[in-house]
Amino acid sequence: MNSSDYAIDIPLEQTKTNTKKSKKFSITPYLFIAPHILLFVAFFLIPMVYGIYASFTKWNLFGSPSFIGTSNYETIFFNHDSTFYKQFWNGLKNTVTFVLICVPFQISLPLIIAVLLDKKPKGRNIFQGIFYLPTLFSITSVTLTWLFIFNRTLGLFNHLFGTDINWYGEQPYAWMTIVIATLWWGIGGNLIIYVAALAGIDRSITEAAALDGATGFRKFFHITLPQIQFPLTYTIVVSVIAQFNIYGQPLMITGGGPSESTHVLLMYIRNLAFGTGKSVAGMASAMSTVLGLIIGVVSVIQIIMIRKQEA
Amino acid sequence: MKRKNVLAGLLTGAMLATVVGCGSGQATEVSDEAVPTAGDLDEAAEEVPTVEPGKKGTIEFWTVFTGADGTSMQAMVDAYNATNPDYTVNHRAMEANDLYLKMPLAIQSGEDVPDVCINHVERVPLFEENGYLEDYTPYLADSEVSAENYNPKAWQMTELDGGHYGIPLDVHSYILYANMDLYEKYGNGVLDDGLLTWDEIKSVGDACVADDIIPIGMSWLRVKFLSSYAQLGGKLSSDGETPDFNNDNALKVLNTWNELYDAGYTHKDGDDPWQLFLAGKMLFCPEGIWMYNDIKEAGLNAKMLDYPVFDTNSVGNWTSSHQFVIPKNDNRDDEKTQAVLDFINFMGNHSLDWAKAGQCPAHVSIKDVAEFQDMPQAFLADENDELKIYDYKYYGYAVESLDVVLGDVLFERMTAQEALDKAVQETKDKIEMGE
Repeated sequence: MNSSDYAIDIPLEQTKTNTKKSKKFSITPYLFIAPHILLFVAFFLIPMVYGIYASFTKWNLFGSPSFIGTSNYETIFFNHDSTFYKQFWNGLKNTVTFVLICVPFQISLPLIIAVLLDKKPKGRNIFQGIFYLPTLFSITSVTLTWLFIFNRTLGLFNHLFGTDINWYGEQPYAWMTIVIATLWWGIGGNLIIYVAALAGIDRSITEAAALDGATGFRKFFHITLPQIQFPLTYTIVVSVIAQFNIYGQPLMITGGGPSESTHVLLMYIRNLAFGTGKSVAGMASAMSTVLGLIIGVVSVIQIIMIRKQEA
Repeated sequence: MKRKNVLAGLLTGAMLATVVGCGSGQATEVSDEAVPTAGDLDEAAEEVPTVEPGKKGTIEFWTVFTGADGTSMQAMVDAYNATNPDYTVNHRAMEANDLYLKMPLAIQSGEDVPDVCINHVERVPLFEENGYLEDYTPYLADSEVSAENYNPKAWQMTELDGGHYGIPLDVHSYILYANMDLYEKYGNGVLDDGLLTWDEIKSVGDACVADDIIPIGMSWLRVKFLSSYAQLGGKLSSDGETPDFNNDNALKVLNTWNELYDAGYTHKDGDDPWQLFLAGKMLFCPEGIWMYNDIKEAGLNAKMLDYPVFDTNSVGNWTSSHQFVIPKNDNRDDEKTQAVLDFINFMGNHSLDWAKAGQCPAHVSIKDVAEFQDMPQAFLADENDELKIYDYKYYGYAVESLDVVLGDVLFERMTAQEALDKAVQETKDKIEMGE
């Protein structure tokens, strides 16, 4: 039996009518996507384009921007004596440091927890709820909670363990505090994705592997991971983007200290654009444009690398 | 399954309560009153403006007072509205940074321009230079608002370019709190003359440290630096334009801090000095007068004094002032502007509620209120030269750059000279790019 066995004789005229119908313009699908497109254009595209334009200007937010070409970029890339050069590179270094420390944990920890939950232990739903709950809290609640826990003199941690660690004011503790607060806050988002992905794996494959004598590790690396490759890729890309945008945790926990070692790029950008003095919005826009480009490039590289592996 | 769900629900509730509890715990540090949030006040204000029957209109009043301050301010506004004025005042409270962004944008767009705003005095010179503010001068003659009714220092700070651009609501200073119970034991009479010198702190330091009492706390270093620096006659800029606070006076201030730290007379990095003071583990702690409600709540026997000095002839407390300013608006007529001045005059004459919020009202009438005289901050109402208010138009840039380095100087991660040079350079660079 081949496809021609199913062929039905359709009159030529009727086929023409159908083709005509399918080409007829219909506004309905456009109406469905219109709200998103409008919001995207109004709150993302236009501000983004204007932000890029502002990066080529000297602007204090209130007057008219004056075009200065690539001067802002030259300053942050080449003028070693400028405050903005120092701020940009220090901020970028600290942001990348945070991404490199935080993202591996943000992927691996929820994955491990999801695998354990997938074994359906007693109280699975309760644990799932507990792990997800911090995601619902505001950044202020989260950082205040950890500020109390890690307070040097009055905090729970130093009190319980009899230590005298200056968690916010010394490295590496300052980074540890920020990373712990971030992981606690954000673990639930990835966890839910992994739990759902693991639930979708065909059990017969793992059972067959078990019958063939595959160990837990072999099953995890050769069956489980390849099966959840797409959600894994998605969470890696989203986590990297999210962590490049780190702001609230260092602002509230360490204030960027000690010695500006946790002062991330967004803190500098925000301070330049909306600080106490007149806005330095042109320079802030240049810094944020470069940050946006970096995030974009890193994300594209990640996706290409993972697709190559798939191939 | 049902039991599990119930348990999960209970656990969720408990955790939420914990987190909400943390938040409210913070709020009660300031006051245990029911405190409306900025959001509540925003919502209330956004329902207006509707002109009530028999009224000529509304006065849109934007302030930076959220939390307990917002409650007190709303009570004062309500009291004014209860006098049945021609213009009803709508109070809209918001975070200070939001106001300083929204106000100029509203003025530039000409839409929804507030009729009167509260600005910190340090903001006024730059806003005046940018042409955002109305000059009070033509309206003062027909109103009861006059210079002699206000704290002279707070009034003078907004006399700019031949005009007058702010009417002070209060002066709020950074002063010294002394734990009087600890002072009995360790003070050795150093407060007998009503002032505390840095040398006197050193003289009682060893006795305190021997009993694990911290002699003095050092937080919000920006204003500590500015207080001492002003006592020495320091200015952020000699010519009002170029910052030059990397000088010997500034070094003297920072070296004094290092001496205290080296001798172990202040807390360690990472400690929370205010909490330690409230817990009775610290003898002296400089803080803002607005923090007194914390002390009342903690039941601490503490006294408010002038900020520590180098010598008794150079008393000075970093001070700021909330000022009523009128944003420029071509659509506002003179009658309404005059009504704004009536409102400001009322607020000055009825500022006891403001004093209860922990502030020192700038209107001289408060001095006649017996209840105010019993308040610990009352002594500030008679101060003038002692109030160190900075009027440098690039104050914002300067203090931001100081914020970044002062902690590193105190805890000796950076030398004083390096820090000051860095802060001055940062201020200069921002001035150049912000023009």
